[in-house]
Amino acid sequence: MPTEKIADQTFEEIPVAEEPVEEKYFTFGKFKLKQKMVWSVGGELAGLLIVLLILASLLKKPSVSPKQTQLPTPTPTPFEEEITSPSIYATDSAILKIEADLKTIDQDLQSTDLKEVGLNPPVLDMEVKFEEE
Amino acid sequence: MKRFLPIFGFVVLFSIAILLNCYIATYAQEFDFNRAYDDYIYTYSQYRVAHSEYVSAKQAYLNYKTLTSKTEAQDKTLKMLEWRDEVIKTYLTALRLKLAETTGISNYEQNVLYLKLDSEVSWYIKHHDALSSAGSLEDLVDSAEEAQGKYQETEVLIYQALGTILSGKETTLRQHLNQQMESLKNKIAEIREKGDKKTTIAERWLLEAENRLTRSQEKQSAAQQILTKIKPYDSNKNQSYNQAQFALEESHQYLKEANLNLRELIREVKSAD
Repeated sequence: MPTEKIADQTFEEIPVAEEPVEEKYFTFGKFKLKQKMVWSVGGELAGLLIVLLILASLLKKPSVSPKQTQLPTPTPTPFEEEITSPSIYATDSAILKIEADLKTIDQDLQSTDLKEVGLNPPVLDMEVKFEEE
Repeated sequence: MKRFLPIFGFVVLFSIAILLNCYIATYAQEFDFNRAYDDYIYTYSQYRVAHSEYVSAKQAYLNYKTLTSKTEAQDKTLKMLEWRDEVIKTYLTALRLKLAETTGISNYEQNVLYLKLDSEVSWYIKHHDALSSAGSLEDLVDSAEEAQGKYQETEVLIYQALGTILSGKETTLRQHLNQQMESLKNKIAEIREKGDKKTTIAERWLLEAENRLTRSQEKQSAAQQILTKIKPYDSNKNQSYNQAQFALEESHQYLKEANLNLRELIREVKSAD
């Protein structure tokens, strides 16, 4: 009885035709971009942005040690007598403006530093000698 | 994906360029007086450390006179001299920026001082660079003497610049007071024309205030005179500067009085006859 020779075949190795995957697209007017591509580029850009932000924070100048704030020295406020009988110019806008400006100047006059001690020249040893004194 | 690589690369480069540009711009903008002053303070502290090391090394050399102590003394002297030049350079830079920030100084005066300060800074930079080429302790001593002579001229410039800064402040305040005085003069003239209030007292007080401003200007001029008379070989430059500063304080006192007079005058105008 003739036996039919069956060719050895491993069915697992036979390539199975893949079902075509449907590509999804984003459409921007006339342009069509693959969704996959857009997401990957977008993700990379977001990552880059985070890296740049970290870099920016690292590159930032280190904060200078806070300077000692000068405490305002209390200045005696001149006693201002109330005007009992005001003239018609007591409410004049020009006069009131000058009065306010003079008050500001007064504050400037009180706060002006006319010593600038911090800017005094440095004390330096200018004499370099190697002789017994 | 490959098609997007050039775009991606361009975006990266562009972002980095913008970032660097922002950083440089921020850094350049922030170099003001405060920053220059911080630099100076830091340099000065480094100088003081170097100076104390120099003093110790010098003493050791004078005591033992060995080659080792001489080499050590040379190293420490070099370090101290380098920091000393650096201190002067950073101090002059801070002074220059303070001048730039101070109002009330004429452009001409400011530019003349800038030129002088820049020239001094260049000298100390050159001197600093030349120090490292000194071959022996004796060479360093010679180089230090050269700087000592130069510093006498620098001190004159320092005191003049300081005086100019203080004078600038006074000038600004006086200008403000003058403006108010002018406004008041006009207002009083207007009141006199209308004739609805007596202006005799106000006019007299206005003259008083004006007089105070003139005295203030005179004191300021006197201070400037003192400063221009300082010479490099003067041993008491500091004393002259203190005198000038005192004159400026007197000038300031006159400004305060003028301001008080004007405020009293306002009160007078606001009160009925």
